[in-house]
Amino acid sequence: MTAQIELKNIDKHYGAFHALKKVSLSIEKGSFVALVGPSGCGKSTLLRSIAGLETITSGDLHIAGKAMTGVPPRHRDIAMVFQSYALYPHMTVEENLTYSLRLHGVGKAEAKAKAAEVAATTGLSALLPRYPRQLSGGQRQRVAMGRAIIRNPKAFLFDEPLSNLDAALRVQMRKEIRALHDRLGATSVYVTHDQIEAMTMADWVVVMRDGIIEQQGRPLDLYDHPVNRFVAGFIGSPAMNFLDGTVSEDGGSVVLAGGERIALGKPAEPNRQVIAGLRPEHLRIAQGPADFHVEVGNVESTGSATYLGSRDDRLQVVQTDRSSVAVGDRVGLEIDPALVHLFDPQTGARI
Amino acid sequence: MRRFLGSLRDGAGFDILLVGAAMVFLIAMAGLPLIYNVLMSFQQVDMFTLGSLIRPWAGFQNYIDVVREPAFWLVAKNTFIFVFFSMGGQFVIGFALALFFAQNFPGASTIRGLFLVSWVMPGLVVGAIWSWILAGDFGVLNTILKNFGVISSNIFWKSDPAFSIWAVVIANIWLGLAFNMLLLSVGLAAIPRDLYEAAELDGANAFQRFWTITLPMMRSTIGAVLSLGLIGTLQQFDLFPAITEGGPANTSTVAQFWSWQMSFKLYDFAKGATISVMMLILVLIASIIYVRSTRHEVRG
Repeated sequence: MTAQIELKNIDKHYGAFHALKKVSLSIEKGSFVALVGPSGCGKSTLLRSIAGLETITSGDLHIAGKAMTGVPPRHRDIAMVFQSYALYPHMTVEENLTYSLRLHGVGKAEAKAKAAEVAATTGLSALLPRYPRQLSGGQRQRVAMGRAIIRNPKAFLFDEPLSNLDAALRVQMRKEIRALHDRLGATSVYVTHDQIEAMTMADWVVVMRDGIIEQQGRPLDLYDHPVNRFVAGFIGSPAMNFLDGTVSEDGGSVVLAGGERIALGKPAEPNRQVIAGLRPEHLRIAQGPADFHVEVGNVESTGSATYLGSRDDRLQVVQTDRSSVAVGDRVGLEIDPALVHLFDPQTGARI
Repeated sequence: MRRFLGSLRDGAGFDILLVGAAMVFLIAMAGLPLIYNVLMSFQQVDMFTLGSLIRPWAGFQNYIDVVREPAFWLVAKNTFIFVFFSMGGQFVIGFALALFFAQNFPGASTIRGLFLVSWVMPGLVVGAIWSWILAGDFGVLNTILKNFGVISSNIFWKSDPAFSIWAVVIANIWLGLAFNMLLLSVGLAAIPRDLYEAAELDGANAFQRFWTITLPMMRSTIGAVLSLGLIGTLQQFDLFPAITEGGPANTSTVAQFWSWQMSFKLYDFAKGATISVMMLILVLIASIIYVRSTRHEVRG
């Protein structure tokens, strides 16, 4: 596989603010990469730097093997879908779609045919003569995508494209974008703050925080082997539980504050202070002897799953079977020792 | 009575009261003088009938007389030059400045604000200033042009028949420039940034972005600026008495100045009113075109 977009030691300063710190990333041709992180982590800045809408302070950016430093956006052959869609309000859907073609001197008839073709793939055929203001949010979103795919660019950039849609439509558009990506064999970079979007859509997830890449990898690798506490807490929903504890004398378990123990899959350094990371969906209510006990503070049931919260609000449990647990109950919890994550309390790094 | 008072406080009566107050004001302050002016243009007016409302009916005689005046076509030509080039200059330079200040360099908004100085100044003062600048023998403009080698001998801007109307046009462009720039700046600021970014990624260069995004998105603003410009230029009076007084030999007389001369210098109120009615019709046509052009406004 060849790298379609190659970033090396990208730095970006806004005055005194260091937005991107030595970011290096290689995006393979045909892959769907998600940049994910909390707001202000630099993911949008990184995307806009790839597009050329922001100038990078230092570092190398190559697209399809060509150095892009100093190349204006219009010569980068990249398409972007904006969060606001940025449709041209004074143009019809058809004119929006053919705008780039017309700029590049494509003939009227050819542009029209191309627009009809793209409209068919994005389900816009009936809407071509309309103006953006006459469209619903989902339709506008499709026009924005159609405008991107019509000129067959070297890469697609998505800047939180689904955040203005309602939940049901978001789930549907998630699938459509991914299907479109597969059909076109395109290279896509997708920015989102929603880790579910990143996990479900992308082949490769890049987790960012404060201008650096915390971890990148396949979605399930990030879920199974987060390199630090931040990634562990960011990936997965509801978020991972973190409990303070000390590794036991024999190294085979973690002793919690209350003296109860959680067994470990692999032995750890004895007597070391640790943070144990337990995913809510990995915790089970013990029928027999339990690893540890909590008092239930709240119970929320969605029908398919039940969310239990502890009284001290430090722990959440997701159960997929109907539970008869009530608020105020003291329940015993157990977890598969192989699924316990340990992190260093100071650095947050995985142990 | 009680019900009437009740409806005044809460109901249709209150609406009528508000509309009525506005209408009374409009009719008293603008409507009646306007109608009186139109009426006068169809009457024979002389010193003896000046005080009466009902005067001998003249039909279209006043209009025929005005068109037959020896100065009519010269004034029409001057008015056209004055309106067209004032508006053109104000608009083009104003738009260029608005685009310039939209670049958001340090101090851009402060300097843009300072431009308003020209608009705040009374026309007579502006006229006096430009009168000095344009002075043939000691004017600054001549000195500058001569030093740059544009002209070899002094131009007598105010007294040369070939230049007199242009002297007022130049002053008027300066006077209206800031207002144009400010309105156009507001229009520019209302265009979302990401449209330009999308266009840039779609492959549009700076000129194409201006032509395909800025101009169409500014349509209603441009319409408003141009129609306000037309009204403003046709109302511009102060500059004429301050700079050329319409001379020499009417070469810088425009319709509004001519109308005033007719009424208050020659006391031919009928012709003065007739000229102003003719101007009114022009403005009316322009306003209708403007209103129609913004009816299908596209925004957002």
